[in-house]
Amino acid sequence: MVIAGATFRESLRSRTFAGLLVIYAVAVALSRAVGWISATDGDIVTTDVVFSLQSVIGVLVAVATGTALMHTEILQKTLYTVLSRPLPRWRFVVGKFLGLAGALAVGQLAMLAIGLGYLWATGAPVQRWLLLAGMLTLVEVLVMAAVSLCWTALSTPLLAAVLGLATYALGHAVATLPELMHHLSGPQQYVACALASLVPNLGMFTYRNQAVYGTPLPLGDLLQSLVYGAAWIALLVAITIAMFRRKQL
Amino acid sequence: MSDLTLSFDHVSFTYRGDWLQRIHALTDVTLAVPRGSSFGYLGANGAGKSTSIKLLVGLLQGHRGAISLFGAPLGDPRLRQRLGYLPEQPYFYDNLRVGEYLAYLGRLSGLDGPALAAGCDRVARLLDLGELLGRKLRSFSKGMRQRFGLAQAMVHQPDLLILDEPFSGLDPLWRARFKEVMDLERRRGATLFFSSHILSDVEDLCDHYAVIDHGTVLEQGRLAELLGQAPLRLTARGPRAVGATDGDDGAWTLTFPEQDRERVLASLPAGAAILRLERQRIALEDYFVARIKAFHGAGRKLAEGAGVER
Repeated sequence: MVIAGATFRESLRSRTFAGLLVIYAVAVALSRAVGWISATDGDIVTTDVVFSLQSVIGVLVAVATGTALMHTEILQKTLYTVLSRPLPRWRFVVGKFLGLAGALAVGQLAMLAIGLGYLWATGAPVQRWLLLAGMLTLVEVLVMAAVSLCWTALSTPLLAAVLGLATYALGHAVATLPELMHHLSGPQQYVACALASLVPNLGMFTYRNQAVYGTPLPLGDLLQSLVYGAAWIALLVAITIAMFRRKQL
Repeated sequence: MSDLTLSFDHVSFTYRGDWLQRIHALTDVTLAVPRGSSFGYLGANGAGKSTSIKLLVGLLQGHRGAISLFGAPLGDPRLRQRLGYLPEQPYFYDNLRVGEYLAYLGRLSGLDGPALAAGCDRVARLLDLGELLGRKLRSFSKGMRQRFGLAQAMVHQPDLLILDEPFSGLDPLWRARFKEVMDLERRRGATLFFSSHILSDVEDLCDHYAVIDHGTVLEQGRLAELLGQAPLRLTARGPRAVGATDGDDGAWTLTFPEQDRERVLASLPAGAAILRLERQRIALEDYFVARIKAFHGAGRKLAEGAGVER
């Protein structure tokens, strides 16, 4: 937890972090304009935009910080004074991830507060399901942070960022796989299922569209999503540890 | 308890380069660092100093041969609780404050509670960091970072201090202060193992030394023994001895190795009056350059001229 605490403080104090929160706040303020020009219910469109922004900006921050986290440590040699202490490398990786996860959680909660505050201030309906949607977005962001961390252990930072965003796109595409299945023949279905299992199904965390319309989220579905997210995070962090243990610094 | 704080026994290490390329960074290195000594590890850039140090502190893995730390085989991370490490040109997190950072690294070395506070306070006083504890390291100059670097290496009062180019980026005042602090650490009982390009600092501080070049240790031993190998210089007046050269005020001088002392003194011409017989000072820098050049077969003449070729 010592590593996690320092990583948390270092991440929260970075200018990038504060800058992205400001960008989010500005984008939220402009979201009303999208509602005005929309042909459908302006409040619903505004709410949808606010929550989509939380997801997109959250994922961008997760990919950017997740890929930079380990690379910066290695490039700037800041980890020399840390790993020369009585500390197994797995604890370093877990600590870095937990610290980053903490900072991302604070960022997500801040965005959620800004978004809900804005909706309340502009008179848009604020339903309790929106809170759940925000929480599932946080899980999605944490999964993406673990994805980025893992890609960084396997490749260069730039490639890791590209692969991270590609994983994000594929992760959402996987969510539509069941609808496409009936267009595929037997062997193609097996191949599609096998490929889909290589990336996290980010559709498991996308509840905002239903929440905007006040559709309840069954407790079983919520728990399934949380367990699914935790399992992917554990797997990705384990892969990162396996790669980092053998890394020559 | 082992008399050696640290030992390398026929250690070799190879980096993986691009594709199938292999870079042999260390070849059959054997070193012995006595407990309580101040050990200067000398070598040019790329000689293998930092690789040796990185193996010691666990940043590199996969060496052949045996490395022992405090008499135990290297491998157990808990051994690192007893060592402090200052990397070459250290970098630190920009957004942590000095006090936070010291406490953070102290905790990682096993300190907590009053011991942690006392450790931080001690190094802050020794390195004048007291007024800087609330500042972020982003605003630090190179010399200030080096001071923080030494502070974090000492915060848990380690038994072995490993310092990679500790005087880099320091002005003369802080170089002198670093030497005082390192002397205090030795008196506390710590062993110092450091590499430096500034050989006058090594001369001032170390009692043992090793010279490494191209991944091979050329020699090692006590510095006093090395300096004791310096030739003698006789200054006299009157009839000149064979091979003497002109000195000041009509005197002449003769330089010869220690083992020729009795023969030379016995063969002085009658009437020659000895003014002085002194040992020439070996400049470690000259010795170092000559030794490495001699090893590579170049500049052999220069080395012999310095009277230190073995």
